[in-house]
Amino acid sequence: MFSGLAITGQTVAFFVIALFVIACGVMLLSMKKVIYMALSIGGVFIGCAAVYLMLEAEFLAFIQVLLYAGAITIMMLFAIMLTKHDEIEKPEPITAHPVWAAIGAAGFGLVILWVVKFSGIKWPQATPDSPFQGQDNVKLIGEALFNQYVIPFELVSVVLIVALVGAITLANKEEKN
Amino acid sequence: MVQNAWLIPLFPLVAYLLLFVLGRRAQEGIVTAISVLAALAGFIVSLLILSDVHANGASAPYVFHWLTVGQNTLSMGFEVTPLNAMMLTVVTFISTLVLLFSKGYLHGDARYSVFYQYLNLFIFSMLGLVISPNLLQVYIFWELVGLCSFLLVGFWYFKPEAAAAAKKAFIVTRIGDVGLFIGIVLIYVATGTFEYSGVFEAFEAKKFAIDWITPDHFITLVAILMFIGAMGKSAQFPLHTWLPDAMEGPTPVSALIHAATMVAAGVYLVARAFPIFEASPDALTVIGIIGGITAIFAALIGLTQNDIKRVVAYSTVSQLGYMVMALGVSAYAASTFHLMTHAFFKALLFLAAGSVIHAIHHNQDIRFMGGLWKKLPLTGWTFLIGALALSGIPPFAGFWSKDEILLGALKSGNTTLFVLGLIAAFCTAFYIFRVFFMTFTGEFRGEKEVYEHAHESGSVMTIPLVLLSIMAIVAGLLNSPLTDHAFEHFIFGGGEEIGKVYDTEWWLAGLATVVALAGIGLSYLMYKSKSINPEALANGPLRPFYQLSLNKFYVDELYHVAIVKPVVWIGHILNFIDKWVVDGIVHLFGEGTYIGSLGLKYSQNGQVQTYGLVTLIGALLLIGAAMYAVGGVK
Amino acid sequence: MLSVEQFLTLGAILFCIGLFGALTKRNIIIVLVSIELMLNAVNINLLTFARFGLMPSINGQIFTLFTMTIAAAELAVGLAVLISLYRNRNTSDVRDQDLMKW
Repeated sequence: MFSGLAITGQTVAFFVIALFVIACGVMLLSMKKVIYMALSIGGVFIGCAAVYLMLEAEFLAFIQVLLYAGAITIMMLFAIMLTKHDEIEKPEPITAHPVWAAIGAAGFGLVILWVVKFSGIKWPQATPDSPFQGQDNVKLIGEALFNQYVIPFELVSVVLIVALVGAITLANKEEKN
Repeated sequence: MVQNAWLIPLFPLVAYLLLFVLGRRAQEGIVTAISVLAALAGFIVSLLILSDVHANGASAPYVFHWLTVGQNTLSMGFEVTPLNAMMLTVVTFISTLVLLFSKGYLHGDARYSVFYQYLNLFIFSMLGLVISPNLLQVYIFWELVGLCSFLLVGFWYFKPEAAAAAKKAFIVTRIGDVGLFIGIVLIYVATGTFEYSGVFEAFEAKKFAIDWITPDHFITLVAILMFIGAMGKSAQFPLHTWLPDAMEGPTPVSALIHAATMVAAGVYLVARAFPIFEASPDALTVIGIIGGITAIFAALIGLTQNDIKRVVAYSTVSQLGYMVMALGVSAYAASTFHLMTHAFFKALLFLAAGSVIHAIHHNQDIRFMGGLWKKLPLTGWTFLIGALALSGIPPFAGFWSKDEILLGALKSGNTTLFVLGLIAAFCTAFYIFRVFFMTFTGEFRGEKEVYEHAHESGSVMTIPLVLLSIMAIVAGLLNSPLTDHAFEHFIFGGGEEIGKVYDTEWWLAGLATVVALAGIGLSYLMYKSKSINPEALANGPLRPFYQLSLNKFYVDELYHVAIVKPVVWIGHILNFIDKWVVDGIVHLFGEGTYIGSLGLKYSQNGQVQTYGLVTLIGALLLIGAAMYAVGGVK
Repeated sequence: MLSVEQFLTLGAILFCIGLFGALTKRNIIIVLVSIELMLNAVNINLLTFARFGLMPSINGQIFTLFTMTIAAAELAVGLAVLISLYRNRNTSDVRDQDLMKW
């Protein structure tokens, strides 16, 4: 599958990280307790941050750790605590639904794999030289964000405000009069 | 001034919109003031235009492009000719008075404001009809006045008779409208224009863009078709049945719409489009015969009717018959002249009748009237003037115009029509004075209490009566030999004569007067001095004729059997087909969908994850199909 | 030497795990988490092409930034909905939220 792959430090690191991410993902699926599921997603997020680093997106890797592994995971835990945090997924009779879901998900994965590996698409060969060589990643992002993408940037801030207000309104207890 | 003629219909339209905005609870005083002022303004402008036309003659139409369909351009606009200047003046004059009169007559009615809205809309439509320079515009306003007539006849829609009468008026005139519509379409197809001037040129040159019929036959066909429209609107035999029933409407409506203006629209149309009819002698003959029949037929029915408004209504039909007959014998000036004088004295008669009806608590049966002269002297006088004018007694208006028509009929060589007209004149004099004597003389035959309380209405009702009486006296002089036939010269606009004009024959005028006086005399003998007992005659030797006349020659019954019944039966059959066949097919699909959905609804189980899964599998199938079709990733 | 295929494959596997979780897990929170997982897989793809694509540029990273922002907003609203739902119906099971059916 990965024939002709030179065993270098980078590849080894990649496989370790990839294994870690997938393992955490599988744990997410297989754990019984909700709280463990939420914790395993934190592993996935941190693994993803490492992958970002390998892809030379240092800024995003940090954001990933801060936002996902930090804020979002904690928020999840809060939400779980607020609801039935000790709930264990009850074993239930096997129905057709998960089977079909597995077939669908696997089929989708196979389609993508086929496209990636066997469809004969010539993927661009990875250049050993980084296109961002010698450039400050944060500076690049900042320049692009405030020149070319300033309007989407502002729009996103509006979306955030709306989501914030909406979330507060939804979660707020209705006053009973 | 002529270029401002468009103002005249605008006034009532603005009044209509104003009243519409004010709503139905507007105060009576405000409503009346707005309406009367608008009509009065229209009248003043009409007078100015009339004098302008009198001085300068007709002007070219003012038109603007309305819309372009393919290569055909339709235009709208207005024109002023002597004929429609006269019509404008008459319509606005009578409208003003009727609007004023209605204040008294309709006082306290819950839908007072609505009544005025309808009246204003009608006046607008009628004026629009009169100043239209092309047939398309005429048709639009033609239908509008029909609509207003429907609304106003059915104004008291809670009375079943009124609702039925409104429907009848609408449906019967519709038969005529279809003829008119076909005629107009044919004219457009053949000449490529709706404009009067263009149409007349084509008819004169007899050049038409159709080849399935010879030009002469085409002219006759079109003329007859347009005349059918006029027959419907002007209540000519055999489409006359709606007009007497239309008397279910409020009396001011009868005076304005069903005596003076709208019913004259048919006559006006024939007069305005006279070159079309003139080009076809056959069509003229038909028109003359129809007019003559209508005149005598309605007069005979009028002899025996007991409803005061119906008698006047039949006299309207009869007089319209006169006008149409005059057009049929090419007595154009006489016809339009009679149109004008008739408008005055018939509006007068209706309003006077309305005054009587109003005074005795909306009773219309002359068998329960009598002796009202003492109680309603002014109404009595004005009714008498109207009756004299209608009978054709000199020097009242009707005498001069009716005389002209009889003269035209005689001189055209149509002796039959002349004799018919003369008999009709006799009947007319008889029945209108029958009404007069039974209403105003003798003893009151209704409830004593009603008689005690009967009194002359306020000035809003008497002023219109007086003004119309004056017109009913003097209007005839306009075209008398005493004024050197001023009206004729005016209506021809100083140009060449339209139709035929004859010198007055004094012996004929004398004969007509004698005939009318004979009618009045007979009426006097039967209903005033009682030297002849009408009851004995009706039940004696003349019984079949009496019954025939009383039952309106059974025309309504004939229509009921010959037309209404079969149509209703066809309706039943079609209803059955619609209910079981058409609806059946629709229901089949409906039921099928319903039954199918009964099973399919369980697929909507409310589980978001199921939906997601189905979406995923569907997407996979689509991707697979797309890849298979394209052959991989391209 | 790293190659594009490795990263794309990792993204695909992560995406499928998320997909399966979103379709089968009963707890609403876990369903939300699974959706985040799918978004992360997409982010990996975007960054891969930003680094190794035919025209490597910073735009992929910008796009990822936006995705993250929207994901955060989505999660905030989702959790608020969840709290509200739980308060009203005392359950956080997806399968109990089935009022909109026949």
